[in-house]
Amino acid sequence: MTSDDSAVVELTDVRKEYSDSVALDGLSLTIRAGEAVAVMGPSGSGKSTLLNMVAGLDRPTSGSVVVNGEDLGRLSETGLALYRRRRIGMIFQFFNLLDDLPALDNVALAAQLTGTSPAQARRRALELLDELGIAGRRNVYPARLSGGERQRVAVARALMNRPALLLADEPTGALDSRAGEQVMDLLLDLNQIGQTLLLVTHDEGLATRCASRLVEVVDGRVARESRLERTP
Amino acid sequence: MSAVWRVARAAARRRRLQTIVIGVVVGVSTATMVLALGLLTSASAPFDRAHQQQSGAHLVAVFDGPGDGLAETAGRPAVAAAAGPFAQVTVDVAMTSRIGMPLTVAGRADPGGAVDRLTVWQGRWADAPGEIVLNEPPGERGPWSLGERVDVAGGRTFTVVGFAYSVSRSADAWVTPAQMSALNPDSAQMLYRFTAAGTAEEIAAAETAVTAGLPLLGTQSYLTLKQEVAAETAVYIPLLIVFGVLGMAVAVLIVANVISGAVVAGYRHIGVLKALGFTSNQVLAVYLLMVTVPAVVGCVLGAVLGHVTAVPLLADAFAGFGTTEIAIDAWVYALAALGMPAVVVVTALLAALRARGLSAAQAISAGSAPSVGRALAVQRVLSGARLPRSVSLGLGVPFARPARSALTLAAIVLGVMTVTLASGVTTSVTSYRAAVEPPTENRVELLAAPPRGFPGPQRLPEPTLSDAEDEALLRSLPGAAAVAAVARLPVGVVGGDPAEVYFHRGDRDLGPVVLSGHWPAAPDEVAVPSRFLNQRGLSLGDAITVEFDGDRTRLRVVGVVLTNPADEVYASWSALTALAPGTRAHSYLVELRPGSDRQAYVDAAADGDPGLTPIPPDEGGSSQAVVLIGFATLMTLVLAAVSALGVFNTVVLISRERRRDLGMLKSIGMTPRQVTVMMVTSMGVLGVVGGLIGLPLGVAAHALIAPAMMRAAQADVLDIVMDVYHAPLLALLALAGVVIAVLGAYLPARGAGRATIAEVLHTE
Repeated sequence: MTSDDSAVVELTDVRKEYSDSVALDGLSLTIRAGEAVAVMGPSGSGKSTLLNMVAGLDRPTSGSVVVNGEDLGRLSETGLALYRRRRIGMIFQFFNLLDDLPALDNVALAAQLTGTSPAQARRRALELLDELGIAGRRNVYPARLSGGERQRVAVARALMNRPALLLADEPTGALDSRAGEQVMDLLLDLNQIGQTLLLVTHDEGLATRCASRLVEVVDGRVARESRLERTP
Repeated sequence: MSAVWRVARAAARRRRLQTIVIGVVVGVSTATMVLALGLLTSASAPFDRAHQQQSGAHLVAVFDGPGDGLAETAGRPAVAAAAGPFAQVTVDVAMTSRIGMPLTVAGRADPGGAVDRLTVWQGRWADAPGEIVLNEPPGERGPWSLGERVDVAGGRTFTVVGFAYSVSRSADAWVTPAQMSALNPDSAQMLYRFTAAGTAEEIAAAETAVTAGLPLLGTQSYLTLKQEVAAETAVYIPLLIVFGVLGMAVAVLIVANVISGAVVAGYRHIGVLKALGFTSNQVLAVYLLMVTVPAVVGCVLGAVLGHVTAVPLLADAFAGFGTTEIAIDAWVYALAALGMPAVVVVTALLAALRARGLSAAQAISAGSAPSVGRALAVQRVLSGARLPRSVSLGLGVPFARPARSALTLAAIVLGVMTVTLASGVTTSVTSYRAAVEPPTENRVELLAAPPRGFPGPQRLPEPTLSDAEDEALLRSLPGAAAVAAVARLPVGVVGGDPAEVYFHRGDRDLGPVVLSGHWPAAPDEVAVPSRFLNQRGLSLGDAITVEFDGDRTRLRVVGVVLTNPADEVYASWSALTALAPGTRAHSYLVELRPGSDRQAYVDAAADGDPGLTPIPPDEGGSSQAVVLIGFATLMTLVLAAVSALGVFNTVVLISRERRRDLGMLKSIGMTPRQVTVMMVTSMGVLGVVGGLIGLPLGVAAHALIAPAMMRAAQADVLDIVMDVYHAPLLALLALAGVVIAVLGAYLPARGAGRATIAEVLHTE
């Protein structure tokens, strides 16, 4: 695969071995700016490992992972942390919000880590919560928010530092259908305004609705790629 | 039960680090308690045993004259048994002998009797003129051997035919009554056992009853001897007890923290156990077993460590007492073996009862549902603070689990208290040593004529100048600021141990500091250290009777001086003139002006009189001071480390419980260093608070312990010992809490910063 100037993510022949198994077996994948790519596959196929590689949460045994021109394999642990802080945003199936902080402070946290002042971070967080329609719940703690609201807070937090790439791991997996729909709409809207998106999901509905390309992973390899026509 | 055991064993293995922490902490606490209780209970045991075996005298009373009418005192109401009268005389060992102290000799026909039944442990009893039996503890090697000759003043010579031991210290040596008559005794001793002799008051009342109307010279109570024997170890006891209690308290806090942490972190585990069919009591048993096993192991090892440490300390303390039976009462070990695990189990029980009371459904849901945030107001305030976010997040962590933070804080407080107390004790001991032994850098001591018993080389050059000429020479040499001449005479003290009298002439400042009263001026005045008074039950203003060269002199105590030995008496030169006319100074103390060349001064003195030999300054501290400082330092390090282990344990628990939060923070860009800073900060804030609370508590503990130690050493409580906490030391000690917290937190915090997080973020 040749390097592509518009590529945000380039995985080349990535292999990841654990002590008793191979999670990724020479996987290559390119994601271009503005794309929304959904990764699907059976349990244990290597989807989450793929996401961890792109997020810089794990390192490949061999091969390279380049995001926004930065080879993650060359970065130290601190370098990877700074990469996660500045380049990507992540949302998870189980939200991973801090229970001790209200919605607004959970969102502002991401900016505060970059050295933004508390007041400025809160202003930006409030804007995002407003855009996502939950500004009224800004002072509520995660335990008192619904699942859909928690995921919106998580999305706001992920967008806080204007990431080049938004990573989502089963973002609707823990939500009821109505909340899931809302989150799907949100992701679609984000992609339509240019946000590059990498989704890992079991949910075919989510994939076909939000993604422009579907990558099927089986046994740690890309088994099939297809363009998707988004369903309304 | 096997299922419970299996699960408990697995739980302990899973928490290997905390299991080890419990074992270590309980072990250290047990060792300290065994040491403290062992010394406390065994300090006077060998004396009591020997005193009982020998039917030891409750009171040794010495009367003036040949002892007429003393036998009748055996029938007075307070007396249970009596021995004597035995004629007594103090003989002066001649200069040619290897020791110079006077010997108090009593005339006794045999070693038995109703009171003070002597143990002849080598040789035989004296039964002919010219034979002498010396008082030495069994196994002790004195200056003489069996069959050797003892030359005394007046040209008499005795042959040592036996060694006997009197726990009552009724005499230094015994001869036959016929021999005693030839020595012209001037006094007689009576040895009494009283019907009631448990307290000093009872002894005093009985003494009044038996000595009324008689020419009493002096008495010696067995309680005074007992105190003297116990004093060596008694100094350590207050410190050991406090350290033992502090160690136990820290152990309790850590156990409570570990168990409550295990219960909180193990809600799901508890739920699963209950769902599998474990009864509530079985779940309780799992959590109790989990800590009881390491606690028992730690306790056994701690008891062994305490024993190994206590026995040499006791053996050292009783070395001069002559007993070889050093044993700590069995109940001390029993108490440690049962008591410490019991404390641990009770602590664990309280924490584990939460696990017992949870239903399976409650437990499982509690393990997975997000909790409602705690201490939310604090977190909100910190969110807006202009601090690095890792610091502000760290500051909020202790508020999430207030009970756990309180336990950790308490461990830090105890750690700071220990450090503060130990620093105070060390400073007190150092200040005391500095006060009783002034700095030697500007001082020169020159020996002119060795006094009797001087332990240095015996063949020294004779002084070529007279006493007055030597003093004048030393004053005239460049650099001399002050000069004092000192003569030393060993004397017998009627009714007690012998003493050494230091006669001073010249500059007063070179003598010891006078704490109360005044420096002796008249020939019948002396100053003594407080230990001299306390060991003999005397007070300022009382009189003592000393014996020298067969003469008896009554001296009045007019001052209390600051010196450590209990057997030193200070007097003016006029007293020497009265007691031993013509005696020259044995040594000269010279204070040099700052910046003077010490060696040049010594050389100049030797040029003036080759008989002036410099005495090397005594640079070493007393062994007791070294042991005390060493022990306090060791215990400080151990207990501070144990407190730090408490912090360590807390950070491990927090890291495990909040691994999802930590993972999330790393996923949004928190660096490993920021995670470390956050976790260390969370404990650092407890360290600051712990320092502020522990510091005054440590100072208060010192205010209790230091006087107790001084009294145990039979010394007076001095300001220099009490007033040790000055601003710079306090400022340093206030940081002790932060140091303990940071040291304890750093490793697990760094571990949390480096932990992989990928998996935890994707699972519930």
